[in-house]
Amino acid sequence: MRTGHFKERTAQLVALSDSKVVWSFAGLLLALVLAAPFLIGNYQVTLLVSAMIAIVGAVGLNMLTGTTGLISLGQAGFLAVGAYTNAILMMDHGWPVWLSMPAAGVVSALVSLLVGVPSLRLKGLYLAITTLAFAFIINHVILYAEWLTHGPNGIFVSGAKVMGVDLQRGKALYYLTFGITVLVVFAALNIQRSRVGRAWMAIRDHDIAARVMGVDLLRYKLYAFMVSSFIVGIAGALISLQIRFVNIDVFALILSIEALAIIILGGLGSIAGAILGAIFLSLLPEAIRLFFDVFADTNSSFYTTYVYEIRGITYGIVIIAFLRLKPEGLIGLWRDVRKYWSNWPLAY
Amino acid sequence: MKNGLLALSAFLLASTAAYAADPGVSDTEIKIGDVNIMTGPASFIGRAVSVGSKIAAAEINEAGGVNGRKITIVTEDDGYVPARSFQALTKLIEVDEIFALNGTSGTANVLAMMPLIEENNLPTVVTTAPNELVYNPVRPSVFTVGASYSDAFYAQLKYIHENSEPANAVYGLIRQDDDFGGAVEAGYDRAVKEFGVKDGLRIRFKKGTANFAAEVAQMKQAGVNVLANGGIIAGAANILGEARKLSMDLQVASVWSEDMPPSVNLSAPAGYDYLVADYVALSGPAIDAFLEKAKKYASDEEIGAINRYTYVTYVGLKALAEAMGQCGQDLTRACTVEKLRGLKDFDTQGISAPLSFDNPEQLSGTAVAVYQLNAAEKTFKALTDFADY
Repeated sequence: MRTGHFKERTAQLVALSDSKVVWSFAGLLLALVLAAPFLIGNYQVTLLVSAMIAIVGAVGLNMLTGTTGLISLGQAGFLAVGAYTNAILMMDHGWPVWLSMPAAGVVSALVSLLVGVPSLRLKGLYLAITTLAFAFIINHVILYAEWLTHGPNGIFVSGAKVMGVDLQRGKALYYLTFGITVLVVFAALNIQRSRVGRAWMAIRDHDIAARVMGVDLLRYKLYAFMVSSFIVGIAGALISLQIRFVNIDVFALILSIEALAIIILGGLGSIAGAILGAIFLSLLPEAIRLFFDVFADTNSSFYTTYVYEIRGITYGIVIIAFLRLKPEGLIGLWRDVRKYWSNWPLAY
Repeated sequence: MKNGLLALSAFLLASTAAYAADPGVSDTEIKIGDVNIMTGPASFIGRAVSVGSKIAAAEINEAGGVNGRKITIVTEDDGYVPARSFQALTKLIEVDEIFALNGTSGTANVLAMMPLIEENNLPTVVTTAPNELVYNPVRPSVFTVGASYSDAFYAQLKYIHENSEPANAVYGLIRQDDDFGGAVEAGYDRAVKEFGVKDGLRIRFKKGTANFAAEVAQMKQAGVNVLANGGIIAGAANILGEARKLSMDLQVASVWSEDMPPSVNLSAPAGYDYLVADYVALSGPAIDAFLEKAKKYASDEEIGAINRYTYVTYVGLKALAEAMGQCGQDLTRACTVEKLRGLKDFDTQGISAPLSFDNPEQLSGTAVAVYQLNAAEKTFKALTDFADY
């Protein structure tokens, strides 16, 4: 008989899930997401693509910040590196997208060494500021290396085709992004329960204790930087495919802050949390827009003048309220619901 | 039987016409999209744009609309973020099913929307980003209202060279390290070469820079007394503020954003009566008449938000309506694009030089007039008429 969520063997502990119900729901969810483009409109498909790209980026950042405890504000920089690598290789060197996308991840991972190596002995706010400085440096490099990046002019990205299918449009882009998202999520889940993942968590929880246990801090921190940046670079490449234009303005610093907000709101250290946070923050503006559209006719002059500010303020209030009332994030809320469901009618 | 066949033929013809019609057009309405900066520090631009569209649409609708169809403006906010511009235009096309686009945000934002615009052959009048990247290479359905920054700076420096004639003139340039800054430098470069004046110093700064103490000190050291100020809004004001601290005697040429009331309020305290070249009028009877008209169609708050971007968007929508009107009842995007391409000397009632898109770049409003700020009164007087440079 199942008794709550207690684990009795190591295999149970490291299994992705020991519940058939969870696997059934996951299968159902996957089927729904696969069928979505046939059930909803093109705009909603675009929103889902944006949300999935946010998931990929958030999972990447979560490996570094949530799992390893290394705070990074350089997300925008790595996204830019990935996007520009993909754009340059595709448009200036004629690489096919199936080669340029992984290359975007590899280049981003290699570039992460530039910030990773000097930052190995830093943590907390010191590391955050270092990674922030990296984002600024990338910004400058992109602007001044005109021979490579076309400087402020940016690059239009087109012609991402595989076997004649245009990967930058509607359903094709959706399924490409979906496939990459599933791959990234499964890779992240597996890395987290591997030796490397456990070492990262040990570093996050107490780095001195981890070192005493034999974890090579420098090596594992570098691994974290590289894996995280590889995934973020892929997210950048996806952005370039979706927007079809890369320019330094696309990768403003606010992206780094939003990425951090996603993983904090979702629940630090949890892949599911990163997914929930990315979906929540990507779709929140749309939800707010729909909410205000309902009232648009009741006081139209008021909304005509202030609706955009009200939307922005509501967005901020929702985030503040959430963090104040549920600091462990959306995943904490989900765990509470699950606990309540399992234990009902008992409280504990 | 014969009548039945006739009725069937008529029905088929009618339904063919219905299927041939492009999105955003019904018997009574034409939906025009507007992607703009409605939130964030630059939102005063987006609000001004929005008011321009609103006034033009109200005026057109009151006069019977475009061949009986009323114009409806659907605005989406992009917060000046290119990725959101793309998202916003996707929404306007897919959900709101707009027929054409009038308000178009900043340069990178328009460029991010460009693949969608081209894919949908969306008639687009670019009103807020007359950057060369937008009209070169030319996109068939994109029409740009506005002069080039290069011409605007050249016009001002030419005026200074020919009229102010400062003694021992040393020219200097300070500009952003982006495409816009590059365009400013092109105008400066043309001027110093053509006039044979001393090119004292050229400085690039990073977009978003707030402190210009070192840059202005360099200017002073180089003896600059004619400054091409490529800073925008707070940046431009900070440059002038630093120059005032160093008691520099300067003739200043500025970006057209510096004729907006928020910019003037920031810059005027430095006390420089700087020049601005613009492709829309800043004062005079045309503007007085426009403001009178605005009282009829806009709220007090919206009137308070009016600035040069309002005028640009107003003339942009009027030009678009003119082209749509020329298509008659069979309004399609292809026809509108065709008519826009043929638009010549469209009268804007003095708000700008007449608009013509019948040129290879589909760029209109290339003529600029030079204005001078009275820093004490925060007003502008025209120094030249609209002229092409």
